[in-house]
Amino acid sequence: MIDFAGWMMPLQYESIVKEHETVRKNAGVFDISHMGEFLLEGGDVFDFLQYLMVNDLNLLEVGKSQYSVMCYENGTVVDDVIYYMENDTKFRMIVNAGNIDKDFQWVNKHVKDYNVKISNISKENCRLAFQGPNSDKLFNPLVDIDISELNRFYFTFCNLNNVPLLLARTGYTGESGFEMSFGVQFAEIVWNALLKTGASPIGLGARDSLRLEACYTLYGHETSDSITPIEANLGWIVKKKEGTDFIGKKILLDQKEKGTSRILVGLNLLDRGIIRENYKIFKNGENVGYITSGGYSPTLKKTIGLALVKTELSPIGTELEIEIRGKMLKAKVVPIPFFRNV
Amino acid sequence: MEYQILSDLKYTKSHEWVRLETNTAVMGITDYAQHQLSDVVYIEMPQLGDIFEKGSLIGEIESVKAVSEFYMPLSGEILEINNTLVEHPEFVNSSPYKEGWLVKIKINDLNEIDSFLTANQYKELIQKEENQ
Repeated sequence: MIDFAGWMMPLQYESIVKEHETVRKNAGVFDISHMGEFLLEGGDVFDFLQYLMVNDLNLLEVGKSQYSVMCYENGTVVDDVIYYMENDTKFRMIVNAGNIDKDFQWVNKHVKDYNVKISNISKENCRLAFQGPNSDKLFNPLVDIDISELNRFYFTFCNLNNVPLLLARTGYTGESGFEMSFGVQFAEIVWNALLKTGASPIGLGARDSLRLEACYTLYGHETSDSITPIEANLGWIVKKKEGTDFIGKKILLDQKEKGTSRILVGLNLLDRGIIRENYKIFKNGENVGYITSGGYSPTLKKTIGLALVKTELSPIGTELEIEIRGKMLKAKVVPIPFFRNV
Repeated sequence: MEYQILSDLKYTKSHEWVRLETNTAVMGITDYAQHQLSDVVYIEMPQLGDIFEKGSLIGEIESVKAVSEFYMPLSGEILEINNTLVEHPEFVNSSPYKEGWLVKIKINDLNEIDSFLTANQYKELIQKEENQ
């Protein structure tokens, strides 16, 4: 058990590698109740989020969710979030555990004249993820809907053993699967029902190795208040939104057009060893970047990492050196994501 | 939790085990230590012929979770290293006392073996650590 943003959470139930492989081959259950959940309600909620977020809410419709980041004026990241459009005046937003207080303050600071009421319902709801290639088959009999009709990034409301759920086809593993939110009083019922399908419980260790293979960013690593989404290779969520202002717009669109001096790349370690966050990267003796996340890939059986490096060193195939406890090991820039099934 | 502790081995406070032979010793990390580390994925070994003092840092074990170190249990020379661990680092988890051995050492000073823990003393040590 480890302390994660104030929550006592299991790093592993049995073995990080076994849990990782279970999610790639069958299905796993993740307790993600540590994440934050806000409700945003009111007549101006669409315009308000359009101002806070870099992504374009015009791409949304009722019943669909969207991944985005909220940025500071200088373009660095407050948090990466996902929000669900329940109707024209009601959105639900999921934020990172370590950023709940900061995000709540940030959102409230900007609400000003917008007709929007924000409630932090993080502690009223419990959140679980059910992920893996067999997740559809195992999950469908549990609920009163046909989940094959639910497309990726869409969500719906349904019942599982009479427990009302918000059920979304989203995830953080690179596998098909679901994320769900429901009242905390039903936590045991839903958790036990999911495990009874034959899926295994998955700890934080495998959650991290799965998302690293799939190259999903983690706040504090690939995104932070000193990294912009363009640098983090999230340029695809930064939209022009002509005629609409949003926080950080000027700098981000400028970076998107002209590029940045550093950029996120994927690395394979060519020598034997393991690379971990904050290890320094060198080219011809010069420090040219650092590892944002690194580790062993149980699927690929090699050492992988994400790194922020000088943009001129980002082409695929570029050889770099990583300093590991005084030794220089060879690494190569490779295409990302390292692995995804969806 | 129950950890395997073999009565014919000696132990160190830093969770290595030592199997004493006439003038040599084989060492590895204990079942308790491998449980703490979780899945081992890479081991940085010393070089054959290297000579170390007792207690020197001689290698590093990378698990999925973190990196940890292992130490020379006795002063002496590295006689053999377990090369099968290059391809199968997971043997440290699945068989810490057999296939997962790390290095074989030529013992310099036999008097040093007096400082080792017995199986019973080691069992007490990990019970203490578990309760902390």
